[in-house]
Amino acid sequence: MTKRPTLFSLILSMPLLIWQLTFFLFPLLFLVAISFWTVRNFQMQPDINFGNWERVLTRGVFWDAYFRTMVLATAAAAITSIIAFPASYAISFKMSEKAKRWMIFILIIPFFTSYLVRVYSLQVFLSDAGIVNAVFGYVGLGPFPMLNNAFGVIVGMITLTLPLVILLQTFSLNFVNRDLIEAAHNLRCGRLRTVFAVIVPSAKVGLVVAALFAFILSFGDFVSPLYLGGGNPPTLSIMITDFTKSGQQWPRAAVVAIMMIVTLLTVAFAAITYAYKERGK
Amino acid sequence: MKVNAEMEQQSEAIVKFDNVVKRFGNFTAVEKADFEIGRGEFLAIMGSSGCGKTTTLRMLAGLEDPTEGAIYLDGEKVNGKATWDRDTPMVWQSLALFPFLTVQENVEFALKMRGVGKEERRQRAEKWLEKMQITEFANRNINQLSGGQKQRVALARALVTEPKILLLDEPLSALDAHLKVRMQAVLSNLQKDLGITFVYVTHSMSEAFSMADRVVIMSRGQIEQIGTPEEIYREPYNRFVAEFLGSANIFDSVITGPSGSDGWKVDFEGGETSLSKDELPNAVQGQAVTFIVSAENMQLSAPDSGQPGILASVAGEEFIGGTAMVFLETETGHELKVQKSHDELSLLNLHAGSKVIVHWAPESCHILPGENL
Repeated sequence: MTKRPTLFSLILSMPLLIWQLTFFLFPLLFLVAISFWTVRNFQMQPDINFGNWERVLTRGVFWDAYFRTMVLATAAAAITSIIAFPASYAISFKMSEKAKRWMIFILIIPFFTSYLVRVYSLQVFLSDAGIVNAVFGYVGLGPFPMLNNAFGVIVGMITLTLPLVILLQTFSLNFVNRDLIEAAHNLRCGRLRTVFAVIVPSAKVGLVVAALFAFILSFGDFVSPLYLGGGNPPTLSIMITDFTKSGQQWPRAAVVAIMMIVTLLTVAFAAITYAYKERGK
Repeated sequence: MKVNAEMEQQSEAIVKFDNVVKRFGNFTAVEKADFEIGRGEFLAIMGSSGCGKTTTLRMLAGLEDPTEGAIYLDGEKVNGKATWDRDTPMVWQSLALFPFLTVQENVEFALKMRGVGKEERRQRAEKWLEKMQITEFANRNINQLSGGQKQRVALARALVTEPKILLLDEPLSALDAHLKVRMQAVLSNLQKDLGITFVYVTHSMSEAFSMADRVVIMSRGQIEQIGTPEEIYREPYNRFVAEFLGSANIFDSVITGPSGSDGWKVDFEGGETSLSKDELPNAVQGQAVTFIVSAENMQLSAPDSGQPGILASVAGEEFIGGTAMVFLETETGHELKVQKSHDELSLLNLHAGSKVIVHWAPESCHILPGENL
């Protein structure tokens, strides 16, 4: 049975609707329109020109950047999820209610400071003369190149997403039925095996959504690839700025942006479908 | 498996609680539990919530460790032995079925954990699905099953390893009354069929008394009485048990003198009766005695019948199947319960406020041993 929305609920939902139309749907449609415009003498002119799409999608540079971004974001999401899980597990299953509240508070603190500032401080840690290499040098190792390469980018992406992933994982683990864990133990399933046989499947939706958030944030990240990865070779987000800076190619930047949005929608849809898939007929 | 002479000797009892105490901080959940469970016995542990019955079961399952005392399982002391190293499958109140597995996968779970091969796992699971009459749901998702079907899956999952003992923690409490009775029959038959030990925790007297060979009654961590349903019903040990059963009239009385050659005359507030000397071999005059008369052993007579007894007035009536429980109030303000058939009651033409004489045969009196030590 569907309920007809009342006037009251319509008025209440108006601000959201207006916001979404003004700042999401219209710009998105505008982006699609721009992708068909042409640029002459550094001036954009409305047009229906498929040349931008052709130029971008037929060039190896774009696809290299596309797969590079895909691999970096996937690796960041996977590594973050794996690093986060033991922490989330400890918070959810091993800590008192009071300690849990403190941990959640502490995990929110990173969001108080700008991501850009945190990435700058990572430069101090990761450079050849930085703190981490100094420690390695102390024991006669290194220096290891940790900046201006994929390692630096992934460290930056993990910094960006780890607190959020731990929070999301913790909340989903909090909802795992404790009886299921005892039942597994009772049916001869040891502690470690129970984690993989019972806890992970029980918290699947939350774990997948956490990884999805890590992927989305990393995929679109601009700061880490630029300041920790050196910006070259480019990721898609860097490619967008490159297009806009060189020759005012906003239409081609729009093509890249639309490709990113389509990719994220596809990945998000696949992830959510997988997360909610149930066993059995 | 280790078999020795000691085990052979103890083969009568599969479980032994030896002065087991369980404390959570300052709270004592179980106080000096000391009893045995026989091989192939259906034992019910009954009490109201917080009485320690579930904690007792969990200690047996290895989900809690006793603070003091020892638990023996099949002759082996199992204190400190993890639940995954014991063979004590349990059926949870919430059933705790794995929602991310199909019915068949749930049943196979314990076999998989023991490294049983795929083909054997399938065969053994199918055998239990068939036994529990849920074969047609093998590939279903747990959430698509009804309450009774889930119950059967939980039983199959616990029994698939063919254990010697099955633990059940109020497994029927979520079912409606009709289904509850049917599942009681299923459980009863299953236990007889398999010949293994069932330990069944419940707060419901009807469940415990209809299924169990013996019943343990607990209150505030203490065991109040252990016995067959018949024994407990006929001869409750103390006031708690008598009150818990709910169908007994409890009288606090004082011995006033001999009654005939083989009885004592006793006085209680509102009347007097006689008790058999057999039940009070060492009694003396002036001694306090607490006894009960069960509701169905009480007799009613019209007030003008001249029958000696207690005059009381009707306060209310409650239907229990083919009988009714009549609540009476004596002139001294005591409440009495009388259970009679509807036919018998209609002869007396009772209504609220009408007077009636209550009496009973001396042999209907049962002295509470726990109150007369």
